[in-house]
Amino acid sequence: MTRSYVARRLLYGIPLVLGVTFISFLLMVYFGPDKTYELLGKNPTADQIREVRQALGYDQPFMLRYADYLKQLVTLDLGLSDSSGESVSSILGRTLPISIALVLPGFVLGNIAGLMLGLMAAWYRGKWLDKLIMSASVVGMSVSFLVIIIGLQILLCTPYGLNLFPVRGWQVHDLGSYLYFVTVPTLALVFVTLGYNTRFYRAVMADEIDRDHIRTLRAYGASPFELMFKHVLKNSLIPILTRIMFSIPFVVISGSLLLESYFGIPGIGLVTFNAITSGDQPVLKAVVGLTGVLFVLALTVNDLLYSLVDPRVAKP
Amino acid sequence: MMNDTWQRLKSDRYGMGGLMVVAAFAFIAICVWSGLLGQGWSEVSGNRWESASASHWFGTNLLGQDIFQRTLFGTATAFEVGLIVTLCSTILGALLGALSGWYSNGWLDEVILWIKGVLDSIPFYLFAAAIAYALQGNTWAMHVAMIVTFWTTTARIIRGEVIRIKQREYIEAAQAIGLPDLLIIFRHVLPNTFHILLVQASIVFVAAINTEVILSFLGLGIQDGVSWGLMLAESSQEVLAGHFGNFIAAGSFLFILLMGFNLLADSLQDAVDTRRVIQ
Repeated sequence: MTRSYVARRLLYGIPLVLGVTFISFLLMVYFGPDKTYELLGKNPTADQIREVRQALGYDQPFMLRYADYLKQLVTLDLGLSDSSGESVSSILGRTLPISIALVLPGFVLGNIAGLMLGLMAAWYRGKWLDKLIMSASVVGMSVSFLVIIIGLQILLCTPYGLNLFPVRGWQVHDLGSYLYFVTVPTLALVFVTLGYNTRFYRAVMADEIDRDHIRTLRAYGASPFELMFKHVLKNSLIPILTRIMFSIPFVVISGSLLLESYFGIPGIGLVTFNAITSGDQPVLKAVVGLTGVLFVLALTVNDLLYSLVDPRVAKP
Repeated sequence: MMNDTWQRLKSDRYGMGGLMVVAAFAFIAICVWSGLLGQGWSEVSGNRWESASASHWFGTNLLGQDIFQRTLFGTATAFEVGLIVTLCSTILGALLGALSGWYSNGWLDEVILWIKGVLDSIPFYLFAAAIAYALQGNTWAMHVAMIVTFWTTTARIIRGEVIRIKQREYIEAAQAIGLPDLLIIFRHVLPNTFHILLVQASIVFVAAINTEVILSFLGLGIQDGVSWGLMLAESSQEVLAGHFGNFIAAGSFLFILLMGFNLLADSLQDAVDTRRVIQ
């Protein structure tokens, strides 16, 4: 990995970061609803109106307001929430760990299970096991996330089913209570991602199994286990790592948005959901801007990791 | 080319099954649009939470509206969302992808790639929320959000294909006789990507229907009328009290349609991609 390659990748990230922040600025700050009259009492005077508009920065020119938004994102000084008055950065700091604790087990299990099923399907390609796994994954892809959540809730959390887990909530203080509250959301996340993951991993593995060196090793009598894990899996690491890196911000945000608003779990998703329903602009613009920036960072780090795994990537 | 594709599709049992399911649902949607079915979706025709009976096939909801009528009407909503989003995002993706591929490595290509990179970097539901916020409850906010984000995948695939097509001899010949670029793109390049667009459109359709459900639950979706997403959102309050009508009706209709579309999309892809068929 040459130094110029690193510099080039970092430079490439800058226009993306600017674009992402610009879009969220445009949608939520510039074109967003005018908040002047929400903050004023009845029959405001012209002076009061001017004062509030000044405090909100509405009298500033366009580029200056954008620069201000960028500064907020960089310094993490994101203002106060409209609905609770708490500072946005402290809300995010408080809720992010909960979301990660909620989403992480499902994310990891969904990928591992998808990888295993994909490996099996690719190994037995064209046989009945492959057909069974692939049909099951099409079925899995056809069930909506919302249907999975409601279905699992009926089956596991209500007297109409097994009634083993809580209907909603998050009172976690030790491992037992963590498992008690995290199980149903985790199962939902695994189910909704499993179909897509299995198909992806099978496609990657099937490409790799076709390679000449794998066939040769097979002819020499290498055990399937050794072949799969030592040779096939290792060579398909790049697409697999990319997919995992790419999906992290999406699963954390999108997954937690739905799971937390449904199960009433006080993570970043519920905060965002409440901000959406109440139009809490400071929270929304912070979440959208920050996830966009984080995604671009992940992308850049991913490309740099690439060139470590496969030096050919860095060649101009 | 299209004829071959159709022949291959016809010999695929699963694909034909999927096509029939989609056609059946499309028929329901057309009947709803022309006023033959599902017209009583908003009228109160019974008591609160009646269970299934001959007059109310899936029972009634909280307000006493017939769930079956609402499910039928929801079919039309799903197709409306699916068709609008698919059509607009496919056209947008085809045009921008073709321009990007034709002028690859030029400034236009760079700009389009940059826009794609930016749009792909914002998690979709947040983007939808931001657009809904900016448009302040406009009915079309959901459609706009999907169209603006779904075209990027189509454009990426078309860009790659156009770069390949560009090197063909007939394109060289068209350039040699001095045809303008745009004419070549529209008459000789884009028509040759039609099969890819078809596959991509079926995938976008599935994504649009699936996304509508989630957005409606989040309160960012359908504003007037009824959709399966709104019914499922309604059912999330009811299932705890043991009323499963909404959940079963909307959930199963949604599942069957998505399943049909997924099977169709898969076998379309196989039918178009000759390389995979030979394997």
